[in-house]
Parts: sequence; C-alpha cells; structure tokens
Amino acid sequence: MSDTLLELDCLSVDYETSRGDLKALRDISFDVKKGEIVGIVGESGCGKSTLISSILRLTAPNTRFREGEIRFKGRNLLAASEKQMRDLRGADMSIVFQDPMQTHNPVLTIGRQMLDIQHRSRSPKAEKLARAARMLGALGIPDPEARLKQYPHEFSGGMRQRIAIAMALMSEPDLLIADEPTTALDATLEVQIIERLQELQREMNCAVLFISHHLGVIAELCDRVVVMYAGAVVESGEVREIFHNPKHPYTRRLIDCDPGHIKTRARVLPTIPGEVPDLAALPQGCVFRDRCTQAMPHCAAQVPPLSKLEEAHHAACWLNHGEVPA
Amino acid sequence: MADMTVELQKKTRSELGQILTGVARDPLGLMGLVIVGTIVFCAIFAIWIVPYDPVAMNIKDRLQGPSTSHLLGTDQLGRDTFSRVIMGGQVALKVALPAVFGAMAIGLTLGMIAGYGPRWLDNFLMLLFDTIRSFPTVMFALAVVALVGPSLQTVVLVVMATSIPTYGRVARTQTLTLQNSEFILAERSMGASMARILGVHMLPNIIGVLAVLAAMDIPTVIALEAGLSFLGLGVKPPTPSWGALLKDGYSLIRQTPWLVVGGGLPIIVATLGFTFLGESLRDVVDPKLRKQR
Amino acid sequence: MFFYAARRFGLALLILFVAVTVMFLMIRAVPGDPVQIMLGPRATPELQARLTAELALDQPIIKQLMIFYGNMLQGDLGIDVFSGRSVTTIVFQQLPHTLWLIFASITWSASLGIALGAYAAAHPNTAIDRAAAAVSVSFVAAPAFVVALLSLLIFAVHLQWFPAIGAGEGFWDRLNHLVLPAFAIGLSWVGYIARLVRASMLEVMGESHVRTARAFGLSERRIVLIYALRIAILPVVTVIGVGMGFLLSSAVFAEIVFARPGLGKLVIDSITTRNYPIVMGSVLISTGLFVISTALADLINAWLDPRARAAR
Repeated sequence: MSDTLLELDCLSVDYETSRGDLKALRDISFDVKKGEIVGIVGESGCGKSTLISSILRLTAPNTRFREGEIRFKGRNLLAASEKQMRDLRGADMSIVFQDPMQTHNPVLTIGRQMLDIQHRSRSPKAEKLARAARMLGALGIPDPEARLKQYPHEFSGGMRQRIAIAMALMSEPDLLIADEPTTALDATLEVQIIERLQELQREMNCAVLFISHHLGVIAELCDRVVVMYAGAVVESGEVREIFHNPKHPYTRRLIDCDPGHIKTRARVLPTIPGEVPDLAALPQGCVFRDRCTQAMPHCAAQVPPLSKLEEAHHAACWLNHGEVPA
Repeated sequence: MADMTVELQKKTRSELGQILTGVARDPLGLMGLVIVGTIVFCAIFAIWIVPYDPVAMNIKDRLQGPSTSHLLGTDQLGRDTFSRVIMGGQVALKVALPAVFGAMAIGLTLGMIAGYGPRWLDNFLMLLFDTIRSFPTVMFALAVVALVGPSLQTVVLVVMATSIPTYGRVARTQTLTLQNSEFILAERSMGASMARILGVHMLPNIIGVLAVLAAMDIPTVIALEAGLSFLGLGVKPPTPSWGALLKDGYSLIRQTPWLVVGGGLPIIVATLGFTFLGESLRDVVDPKLRKQR
Repeated sequence: MFFYAARRFGLALLILFVAVTVMFLMIRAVPGDPVQIMLGPRATPELQARLTAELALDQPIIKQLMIFYGNMLQGDLGIDVFSGRSVTTIVFQQLPHTLWLIFASITWSASLGIALGAYAAAHPNTAIDRAAAAVSVSFVAAPAFVVALLSLLIFAVHLQWFPAIGAGEGFWDRLNHLVLPAFAIGLSWVGYIARLVRASMLEVMGESHVRTARAFGLSERRIVLIYALRIAILPVVTVIGVGMGFLLSSAVFAEIVFARPGLGKLVIDSITTRNYPIVMGSVLISTGLFVISTALADLINAWLDPRARAAR
C-alpha cells in the first residue's frame, strides 16, 4: 500500500497520574491515504485531542506510549527523535487548532508569525512575505499585504481561523490535521471556511485528518469516518456507509442526536443518557455497555473486537457477530 | 438570623484553625510562624529577657566584642548590644503594628466606600490614592519629618498615610467583585441596608485578603522605621531601635563590626519571618492573589 | 498610540497637580508662620521678607495656591536659604548621580532576574529552580540599606575589594564606586523579578499560541526567547515603573551609607541644616520622577503589547 500516508497500528497511550494510569487511547488502528479526507467523530473526552497530539508528538510530559506504532510515510514516528519530529512539524504535517482566538502570538504581527514559520525556506524576506500574502488572499482575506502588518487582536475569529489555515497550508504539507477548526465559529462562516478548505485541499492534494463533532460537516467533507468512544475506535468506514448503515449503537445514537438530522420538531433535543466511563478505572467488556440500550450479558464479559463487516466498514460490537460466543 | 450569626462565627473559627494548620504544614510558613512568634514573645517579655538595662551606660566596658557577659558586645557608651537588640524588637513592633492596622482599618473603610458608593466618589478616592502612592515613601517621610520633627508618632503617621492607598485599592476591588455576586444581590433584593451588606456580608470576605497584605507589609514598615532611625530621623536616642544601632554601628564601622551586625541581622530575620508568614498565608487564604502581586 | 500616550501623560499631570496641592496643604497644616516653616530657622530676614511678598500671605488661600502653581509651572521651586541659588538648579545638579545609581541597580538586577526566572520556568521543579526560588525569597526580604551597611562592612572595610565612600573620578573609578551601592539596591530586585518572570513565563508557556509555534517546528530556543519571553516580561516593565518609588528610597540610603553625592544626600544634608526649600523641592522632583516613570512603564507596555493599546 504505497498510497498510505499515515497509519496508526494498535496505538495505546496512557497518562501517568497520581491516581494511576489514565488509559487515554486503546488499540487505535486506522489509516489515512494520500489526498484523502478522514473524519474523526466523538464526544469531548473520547481521546481525539490525545490522538492528534500523539501524531505530532506535542504531548504532555506525563504521556506514555504503551503499544503500537504511528507510521508516517512508512516511518514509525514513535521511534523518531525530537529533532526529527520537529523537522516534520509545519513541513510535512501541520495543524489547525480549535480556538482561533488563542492560536496566534498576541504580541507579534501576523506577518512576523507567517514569516517565522517559513524558517526552513532560504528565500529572501520579501519573497516569504509575498507568499504569506498570497496564502491569506487564497483564504479570502481582502487586502492581505496591509493585514500582514496587523496584530491578531485586530482580526475577527473567522479571520483568525482563515489565517491559521493559511499558515498550516503554506508549506504545502502532505497531511493537514484540523482539530475542530470551525467549532468556535457561527454556521455561515463555518460553511465558507469549509468550502475554502476543500478547494485548497483539492488544489494541493494534501490529506486531511478532520476532527469534529459536527456530523453535518463530516458528511459533507470527508471520504471516510472514524468514530471514537472513550479512547477506542468503535466504528470506521466510508462516509456513506457510516451515515446510512451504522453498525454500532453508539454511532446510531450520535446520528440521532445530531441537530441536523432531527426532522420533526422535537421539544427536547435527544441526548445519549449516561456518562463516558472513567478512563482510570475502565469497566470490563465493552466500554459503551452502560449507555447502550441493546447491551447483552456477553458485552460485560469481553471487549468486542473491531471486525471487518464489509470491504470498507469496521465496527466493534457484539451485535454484528450473529452468534455470540458463550 | 441569630442562628446564622452563630453559624458564621463557627465557620470563621474553624477557618482560622484551617488557615493556621495550612501555614504550619508549609515549611516556609512554619519557619515564618516560628520567627514571628519568637519576635513577638521577645517583645512582650523584653524587660525580663534583657540581661542589662538597654539604656544604662558603662563607659568602662565600651566597644567590647562578644563575650559571655555581653553576647553581642557593647557600644561606644558601654551599653549592652544584645539588650538593645531585644528592646529594639519591641520598638519595631510598637511602630509597625499600629501603623499597619491603622492603615488597614482606614484603607478598608475608604475602599469599601469607593467600591460601593457613587461613581464620582470612587473616582475621587482613586485619584487621591494614586497621588499618595506617587510620593516615594521615604521622600514623603523625610518631608514630614522636616516639617514636624522626628518622633515615633511621626513615623507611625507617615507609614499609615502611605499605605492606606494599597489597602484601599484592594478593598475596593474586592467590594466591586462581591457586589455582583449572587448572595449580595439576593440580600439586596430582600431590602437589606447598606450598612448590613457592607458590615455583615462583605467585611468577612475582604478582611482575609487584607490581613495577608498586612502581614507582608509589616517588614516594609519595620525597615522604614529602622531606616529613618538610621538617618537619625526616627525614634529619638537613647531609645533602643535597630535603626539606631545601625547608626552607631555605621559611625564606628572601622572600630567594631558588632553594632552593624547586631542591628542588621534582626531586621533581616524579622523581614524574612514576616515575608514567609505572609506568603504562606496568601497561598492558603487566596491562591489567586499570587498572580496579582 | 498617540492618543493613548496623550491620555496617559494627561493622567500623570493630573496626579502631579494633586500632589503639589497636597504638598501645599501639608505645609499649611503645620501650625506656625508658613514663611518660617518653608524656609526653616536659618533663613535671613531679607529672604523671609521676599518669600512673604511672593506667597502673598495676605491674599485668600485660593489665590496663594494659584501663585504656588504658577511658580511650579515656571520651574521655580524656591531659593536655597544659604547660597540664594535656585533650588531647581541645585536639585538638577544632584539628580544625575541618583539616576545613574538607579539605572545601574535596575539594569544588573533585572537582567539577572529575567535570566534566572526564564531559566527556572524552562526547567521547572529541578534543583536549580528550587534553589533559585529559595534564594529569591531570602533576597526579597533584605532591605536595601541593611544590605548596603553589611556589604560596606564586608567588601569595603574588611576585604577592601571596593572603595567605601564617594563617587569617584573618571569612568573606571566611577564604575568601581558604583558596584557596592548598585549591588545593595538591586539585590532584592533580582529575586523579585526572577519570581515574577518565572510565574508569568510558566503561564505563557502553557498558552495555546506556544503550542502553535511548536506545531510549526520552531526551535525551543526561539519559542522561549522570542515568543514567550516577550509576553512574560510585560509585568516586569510595570513593576519597575511602579518600583521607582522604592528605588529612589533605596538610593537615598545607599547614598548616605556610601557617602555618594545625589538627591538622597542633598535631602538629608538639607534636613540636618534645616534648609527646607531644598527638602521640599527634592520631594517634588522625586515625585515627578515617579509619576513620569509609571507613565513611561505603561507606554512601554503599550508599545510591547498591542492588546494594551487597543484596550484603552
């Protein structure tokens, strides 16, 4: 599979805390192919943030990689040195963070910051600035040359997120990680920015790992989807399959709860009752069991494996196993 | 209502216990408690501790080094330095405590008025505070001393005047924050009087923060008193003050080092003790304050 | 930026105006003949007569206050009782000595403090960090004049490494004379600034924009020294500006202890000789200095931090 760009293979990550190890990620496996957009969905606390910081190795000091590999272009990143990781960051892979209001340095101009991130390029300063302005223009920021001289606080949230995307795409990375890039913005802005991102992605043919809890955006944008729950992948597959034929009860509830999918005017927005289990003291068996309406006795006994249901559709639920082993 | 008062008192008492345990648990805080406790103890029982009359001259024994009969030696008039150090602690606290608590009381009142009262009064008080703060303390003290002459009372007054704004500002900020808190809004909607709101509800919440400030202010005051006495503009001789010791020591620095050491060390130790105690108190009472300083 | 600066200096002027008023009222609050109080007992009858005429004591107090302001605006702070020279001239002759001392003190202590604080924040909870914290607290506690006396005793009288008194002649000699007083004044600032920088640095290093800088592969050096430190030293600027009062006070003592010329020496000498116009003039000038330095600190902050410019 030479067209695979990023591959996570049975990745398990813990946080060492005073009350024991927090099992933040367990046995995560999925891949991202060149030029593909993969969405990751899940509630807050499902391990999405740990996942992306692990890929970039921007992890907290108490993070422990217990098992598995993260392969980028065939190379295991967990074996790479800090220096090698730094060479990848902002060059081969870059990231757009969630909160556009906090993502830029408040005391440096946007131009200075866009100049600084081109630290690997040997082009003259004027050329770098021109390139920065071109990128801002491509993201739909009017009068980019003048705006390079401005400070972050002089831009609106939507503008700042466009700048963040422009910065992330400036090195024409092979992989762009977008961590809920539009959550902090209102709906119209969200659509505009997503469309721009899609156009540029096609132009540059870079792969995107798009993290969101907004199912509508995922359905619109992504080729494939990975559904995460409490630090594990519960279902993954092509976007059409997942949305039209979900095979895990959690995915089904997630789709039911999405405001975009509720057609009748409900008095109360449906929610999934119960809470995400404590990652420091995981229950035996399936992690979703306590909140699942279809739980069976066997779900408490054994963790369901992520098994292949169709060519491009995996799910981890005993319901798909016809005969449950006793 | 009576129940509530009892409840409140119980709460504050157990809180005080909690604060003290918290301070004692922190190594630096414990050290501060011990140092401050020792200084206060020595100041209270000074007359029984001192081996000699701190102002009694004995020309025969002048300028001696440390010995078993004179622990820290004697000065140019043959007075026992150790006795003068112990009595000096009493003088330092006599200046520092009334000055700090006076400033705290006045600052608290003015600050609460500024925070609670009309806008124009707030602006006026703030401008006044800013102005007083803009006199460099020592310069201001020198001007006052020049005008009315040196004395213990002058020092107390000057210190009070210059530190009122600090307490006032903090009290004002706290009042403004509390004013919009839910329980004050609830009291107001039930028609509680201004005096009741300020006295019963706000005061207990503000006083903790101010007490921390006061603990950290005491060393500054002690240093200022010693400094003015060193310049010969503080307490009058022959009153034993750490500053006066330093003044004598400075003029005799080539003859004997013991006067400078005897006057300087207690100031440093006292400052350390009160600073440790104050910082530890701050961390226990209100960890948020850490950032503000 | 221009409007911000104008407003800030407007406020400084207002404070100075109120300060002058307070000063005037203070002199008046002391019972006795104001001319006697302002000039002290050593003044000649001619001088007393001249001041009586100038102050217009027979006029209502508001009129007197106006005359007082008028004199201030013209830079007239009165006349030296002994020499008859203008107080403004005398004070401004001594001021540079004090300013150099303050400048030297704050320069060495702020540089060391910032370096220590940044280092401690970059290596939190290591042995060096803890040692720096302990030393900082102890240094913060030491009043400048006590440090001055003890360092005079140790380094000048006993070890004789540095000269004990005076300001020296020529560049190197002056520098040599500056070492001990600047050490005494700056010592408590090192710990204070180190603690401040450490705290704000730790806070800044946890902010999202630092993570962004890391995500673009910027070197840790660049992130710490340019992206984070620039924000973390903002409170230091304010603290130094507001600390001008403390610095002046410390300088007074250091000048006395090391028998250096300067504002402090001038004031103390004038108090002993009861030359009151010089005392009052010096106090007003140093107040002005303090007000200007806080305003300057705010302006530098606004220049370093674009957010502060916009907020006000």
